[in-house]
Amino acid sequence: MLEIKNLHASVDGGREILKGVSLTVRAGEVHAIMGPNGSGKSTLAGILAGRDGYDITRGSVIYDGRDLLAMSPEDRARAGIFLAFQYPVEIPGVNNMYFLRVALNAGRKARGEPELDAGQFLKTVRNKLKLLEIDDDLLQRGVNVGFSGGEKKRNEIFQMAMLEPRLAILDETDSGLDIDALRVVANGINRLRAPNRAIVMITHYQRLLDHVAPDFVHVLSEGRIVRSGDKSLAAELEKTGYAGVGV
Amino acid sequence: MAVKTEAAPYLDVFRPNAGEPAWLRDARAKARDAFVARGFPSRRDEAWRFTNLRPLADKPFEPGHGKLELKPGSLPKGAWFASMARTLIEKPEIARRAIGESDLAGGQPFASLNAAMFADGFVLALDEGVTLDPPVEIVHSAGDGSINLRNLIVLAPSSRATIVERYCGEGAYWTNTVTTVSVGAGASLTHVKVQDEGPEAIHFGMVRAALEPAATYRNFGLTLGANLSRQDVQVAHGIGSIVDLAGAYLQRGDQDTTNAVVVDHAAPGATTRELFKGVLDKRSHGAFLGTIRVREGAQKTDAKQTSRALLLSDRASVDTKPELEILADDVKCAHGAAVGDLDKDTLFYLRARGIGIDEARRMLIEAFVLEAFETVEQPELRGHLAARVRVWLEAA
Ligand SMILES: Nc1ncnc2c1ncn2[C@@H]1O[C@H](COP(=O)(O)OP(=O)(O)O)[C@@H](O)[C@H]1O
Ligand SMILES: [Mg+2]
Repeated sequence: MLEIKNLHASVDGGREILKGVSLTVRAGEVHAIMGPNGSGKSTLAGILAGRDGYDITRGSVIYDGRDLLAMSPEDRARAGIFLAFQYPVEIPGVNNMYFLRVALNAGRKARGEPELDAGQFLKTVRNKLKLLEIDDDLLQRGVNVGFSGGEKKRNEIFQMAMLEPRLAILDETDSGLDIDALRVVANGINRLRAPNRAIVMITHYQRLLDHVAPDFVHVLSEGRIVRSGDKSLAAELEKTGYAGVGV
Repeated sequence: MAVKTEAAPYLDVFRPNAGEPAWLRDARAKARDAFVARGFPSRRDEAWRFTNLRPLADKPFEPGHGKLELKPGSLPKGAWFASMARTLIEKPEIARRAIGESDLAGGQPFASLNAAMFADGFVLALDEGVTLDPPVEIVHSAGDGSINLRNLIVLAPSSRATIVERYCGEGAYWTNTVTTVSVGAGASLTHVKVQDEGPEAIHFGMVRAALEPAATYRNFGLTLGANLSRQDVQVAHGIGSIVDLAGAYLQRGDQDTTNAVVVDHAAPGATTRELFKGVLDKRSHGAFLGTIRVREGAQKTDAKQTSRALLLSDRASVDTKPELEILADDVKCAHGAAVGDLDKDTLFYLRARGIGIDEARRMLIEAFVLEAFETVEQPELRGHLAARVRVWLEAA
């Protein structure tokens, strides 16, 4: 589904941040990417979702046989890529529900599916809201406006549940969550697991992985994947720290 | 009598109307003399520094025509809502209040010209305690030439009203409106104006409002049209009165607009909130001039002014000039101004959810603009303004 080959990227006109990342993600798989602060995890996630401000100096990213890096952010989203932001932005004046409906219908339209009318949309919203234990009235506000840190993360997963992506990239969705919120968010992620979907979780901690068992764990350090393994690698990291795995 | 060059053409077309009452003929003559002696405001005049009057000076307008339509809804007893022409005949004692000393003095040349030349306008007058609901509406569509409208809104104590003015038209014309507003003790007026003039038009609007104690005056302006436009709002507070001035101006092409607001706190305990939002695309230019004057003795004044503009193109520009003159000591006064482009991270967030870049930009601009109208109480009216903004955005 996703094939990253020898990806080198630097900040526009600046220093190199990704120094040859290669990663293959197949449908049905769950990958965890771990690594110290500043190792390039968010940069990688941003580049996959189409954030600008980076120079791709070498390498390629193929998604479903297409050159991902040549696609606009909206085309990637419509093709099924979803990034749960590490820092979701607040958008005063843009109503959450309205935003979500425009987003959902943009994707449906691009795929040739009929747009949802207000009634159908509302029904879907109700179902997913319950799943993520989100208050109704949060949806009547501006996007993320006045949300607590945990509510913002939950809202990301709620959006993911609504948009039903094929490849979800979750950037530290677990940080800042208390144990109950973590359980709810993990539940939301597990519900998305399916043979035709893939999930890439970026995290610092073992604890999300206790709830969402990954098939593969990778350690990113200074812009390179320095180790890959199964979920026992995460347990090892928890015990020894990054230094213990030679980072 | 010395006549300024640019004013001369207007002197030539001035024809006193023999059918009018003596007081009006007298006032018109005085206002005309004041205008021709003074001429157009000069760009050395601080308040007119950013308004380019060349198009007006180069090509004087003949007196022109427009259609004034009043939509009264259902008027309660104690409410007068009629054209100025009719009010002059049937209620001259009310109509007289539309012309003031400053018209005769010439300090505001275009207001003096308006006093000399106006043929019509609207008048809304409410007796004490009368509530007007739903809003009344005025639509003016201009045809050609120069059109001077003289408007008057008088709210007696404890009355309430919402009034919506809309200006539109086709062709090259000049609309020049002067609106005198008086809000009685404890009365409340919501005054909405949508300036949607044709693309070749010139539009000037001047509002002078005087507030009595505990009066509330809310003024919302949406500027979309005209090639050159200017909106002046000048408010004199009463004791403990409340003023909410908000405006949004959306311009593109080579449009040019100025919002100039002056709020005078001569009485204590009054509150002013100002919020102006500009969206400037292509080669357009906007200016916001905001003066808040707090006189000696106006203690416990609470005033806040905010002006923000989005520049959507490298060639668009905006000038902002806040001016706080504070002579009392126990006051809260704040102002802030910012100019920028749409936030990149926010735009990316929307696109990362599948929303196309054009739609994402429209959503963000719309949200930015509509903040100015958040305090409009009637949801239908807010919706109407939002719809006008949408139309502008989608016309890009
Ligand atoms: N836009 C940017 N401009 C300058 N430096 C950046 C930018 N984005 C990321 N960096 C730098 O790149 C490195 C990796 O950042 P990031 O990808 O956010 O790391 P992580 O998510 O693993 O903590 C950091 O040193 C960070 O300061
Ligand atoms: Mg990060």
